[in-house]
Amino acid sequence: MIFRSFAFALALGAAQAVVAATAGQSAPNFQLVDTQGKAVQLSDFKGRYVVLEWTNPQCPFVRNHYNTRNMQALQQRWGERDVVWLSIDSSNKSSGEYMKPSKLDLWMHSQGAAQKAVLVDDDSTTARLYQAKTTPHMFVIDPQGTIIYAGAIDDRPSTRPDDPPNARNYVQAALAQATDGKPVATSNSVPYGCSIKY
Amino acid sequence: MLRSAHLTRLFVAATLLALAVAAARAAPVRTEHVEAELVSERTALVPGQPLTVALRLAMQRGWHTYWRNPGDSGLPTTLAWKPPQGLSAGPIQWPVPQALPVGPLMNFGYEGEAFLLTEVTAASGLADSKLVTLTGRADWLVCKEICIPEGADLALTLPVASVSDADPRWAAPISSARGALPQALQGFAVSAVGVGQELVLTFTPRKEASDPGEAYFFPYKAGLIEPSAKQTLLRDGDAWKLTLAVANQRVGEFARVAGVITSSRGFAGQRAATLDVPLGGSIVAGTAPPAIATVPLALPADTSASSLGVALAFAFIGGALLNLMPCVFPVLSLKVLGFATHGGGRATMRLHGLAFAAGVIASFWLLAGALVALRAAGAQLGWGFQLQSPAVIAALAVLFFVMALNLSGVFDFGRLIPSSVATWDAKQPFLNDALSGVLAVVIASPCSAPFMGAALGYALAAPREVTFAVFTSLGLGMALPYLVLAFFPKWRARLPRPGPWMQRLRQLLAFPLYGTVLWLAWVLGAQLDNDAVLRLGVSLLLIALALWAWQSRSAGALRGWTVAALAGVAAAAAVVWPVVAASTPTAASPSTSIDSGGWQAYAPERLSTLVAQGRPVFIDFTAAWCVTCQVNKRLVLNSSETRDAFTRSNVALLRADWTRRDPAIGQALAALGRNGVPAYVLYRPGRKPLLLPEVLQQSTINDALATL
Repeated sequence: MIFRSFAFALALGAAQAVVAATAGQSAPNFQLVDTQGKAVQLSDFKGRYVVLEWTNPQCPFVRNHYNTRNMQALQQRWGERDVVWLSIDSSNKSSGEYMKPSKLDLWMHSQGAAQKAVLVDDDSTTARLYQAKTTPHMFVIDPQGTIIYAGAIDDRPSTRPDDPPNARNYVQAALAQATDGKPVATSNSVPYGCSIKY
Repeated sequence: MLRSAHLTRLFVAATLLALAVAAARAAPVRTEHVEAELVSERTALVPGQPLTVALRLAMQRGWHTYWRNPGDSGLPTTLAWKPPQGLSAGPIQWPVPQALPVGPLMNFGYEGEAFLLTEVTAASGLADSKLVTLTGRADWLVCKEICIPEGADLALTLPVASVSDADPRWAAPISSARGALPQALQGFAVSAVGVGQELVLTFTPRKEASDPGEAYFFPYKAGLIEPSAKQTLLRDGDAWKLTLAVANQRVGEFARVAGVITSSRGFAGQRAATLDVPLGGSIVAGTAPPAIATVPLALPADTSASSLGVALAFAFIGGALLNLMPCVFPVLSLKVLGFATHGGGRATMRLHGLAFAAGVIASFWLLAGALVALRAAGAQLGWGFQLQSPAVIAALAVLFFVMALNLSGVFDFGRLIPSSVATWDAKQPFLNDALSGVLAVVIASPCSAPFMGAALGYALAAPREVTFAVFTSLGLGMALPYLVLAFFPKWRARLPRPGPWMQRLRQLLAFPLYGTVLWLAWVLGAQLDNDAVLRLGVSLLLIALALWAWQSRSAGALRGWTVAALAGVAAAAAVVWPVVAASTPTAASPSTSIDSGGWQAYAPERLSTLVAQGRPVFIDFTAAWCVTCQVNKRLVLNSSETRDAFTRSNVALLRADWTRRDPAIGQALAALGRNGVPAYVLYRPGRKPLLLPEVLQQSTINDALATL
């Protein structure tokens, strides 16, 4: 009888394991190769905060956050505090906006980007895994591997240069609150930007 | 006098028109991909009267701009007025958008030409004959493959007058755009119920209404409804039900469903209409029970050591229990018989045990390998899948029948197999043991004992290494009794000593095998038809005849009997061939047991409809070839007590018959974390589905219903 109820609990557990990549859920693991050719997987960083930034240098929303140095500043600030920042380009190889890893790497360099790695997801598998929709689409993962924020980078969906500095940056807020031991006030938002080029 | 007044008015109108044409017709702004301008329905502003103006956007071919909710990506067009004193401008009145798929994503917006209407009102004190300029900043994102943010400062100058005329160029398109604006839905009562990841909009006509055709719902707010999910409109009695998917990454409270409903033939003539209704069901409470029926297999995020340990333990216990299942027991009997006859030293016994265990484990590895490969290929499969093929059923029936005949003494393997093979066989008893281990696994597969379902569900959704670990554990569990007997001679000593009783026992053990053949024949009948059963029967008869002839060779003319035996086998093969070839049975109506007693055949739509109605639903996942399922059905599900209990609780009963391959049922099982039958689940309104154990008792059902 005890065994049976154990089995029952296990079965329920299995039923619940069907997840959407949204705040409160475990972040699905993935493995990608970065623009330097190095294999990187999410589970390498267990025990640290991780930020996933879906990016595409061709997208005006992404460019706005780099042109205003908003993105680089975040990468820099949190990188210094041992947060792992991973930028992911999921533009499919067959799409018009696909950039070769070397070109992508060069672009990030030219922008003074300060992420841990720029990952190449040229068949969009990881984007599908996270149901990522836009560039930028942001995820913040805590040291236990739980997604604590998913959605837009800030509360101003626009491409105007004066918006990023004045917006409420959700990623900044989530990281600041979480590392302070406080609950994350806004853990989900509707992502905005260009569609990911699946 | 009258004539003169008329002339004057005409003169004024002509002047105003000329003014309007000169001043208002500022050239449209051309950006890279869009031509934009402000246009007016009438030639003048009449103080105190509303005037419709439009932001006209003409997109280049293939490019689109966005609706108020842009869908998965994009930005809505904005129009910021800087109205002069004495004028006020309303919000944009959005035309009905188009659904614009981009890869797996969905956008809502406009291609071609769009008129975004705004109502402008001039204060009644505004002086006549004055020119007023409306200025506004329009910003839009225009996308094809790529997206370009564009914008323009636009102006529209109009005279103020006591009368106005229709603008010759723009009155017609603006008025038709206004006519096409969605109005509140008439003639239907609309309700919205969300359960888990599904949301059902029910449209009940107030009086007779014709079929609306294809429907699509555009939600006003983003982050509540998944834009790219398929929307299906199904008739349900007098009403129509549109099933929507709740957003995977849902944002904010979901208390109302508001947006534009469109349909190809119209809801009582309305091709597009607005609706705004409160949302009922369990989404409001904020709990998201696991999705029903439509969830693809996803990698579980938690493969921590502890849950792996639990899974391995249950797999081990499940494997051990497999030995007691009806379809494995004959093999156990045979094996016990084998231990009794082998005799030999202690070390030899251990080797026998180990060889058998190796055979069992090797087969489980083979199954795991196949499972991993098939899963990679995206096949819908589950435990017991082998028995969904009539060819496998027929082959097993023949195999068991031949074994039974052997036990009955109709023929001996020693004479059947050429002496060289027979002696080689005899010299290799360990290979024999390994092969009987393989056989044990093959016939055990349909009976997923208690705990097996959970462990398998776990293994199937887990990484490759975990799948292999779980299957190894299953194999070890199954081999356990043999290993125990081989390693603990004391226990073995309790086995009866060899003697003349063995021949009788051997003959007796033939009967469970004949029984198994009968069961397989019944399964075949359920899969195919009566004919198939008869063909199998005739084939078995011919095989029996052939084996008898073969056995008779020594007693008579060698050649004659050999020919007769071979002819018998050939005839048997010919007779049974159509059954074997029918490996993909044509789907007729489900052949087993969608009987009376209130059971309906399972269909995902039926389930979601019932759940949306707020009714509890019990699903019996079953198959003809599953013995546990049949036992549960006869003893518990079909009992009058159970039937009364279901009726009392107003439970809808669905039966998912997996006797033949059915991807919908495979998916539903996977969504529940199971990959085999039996599986019993009770869907409770607003709560998590309750999964019941695989072995049912009356009390199990009563306890489950008590939670309603």
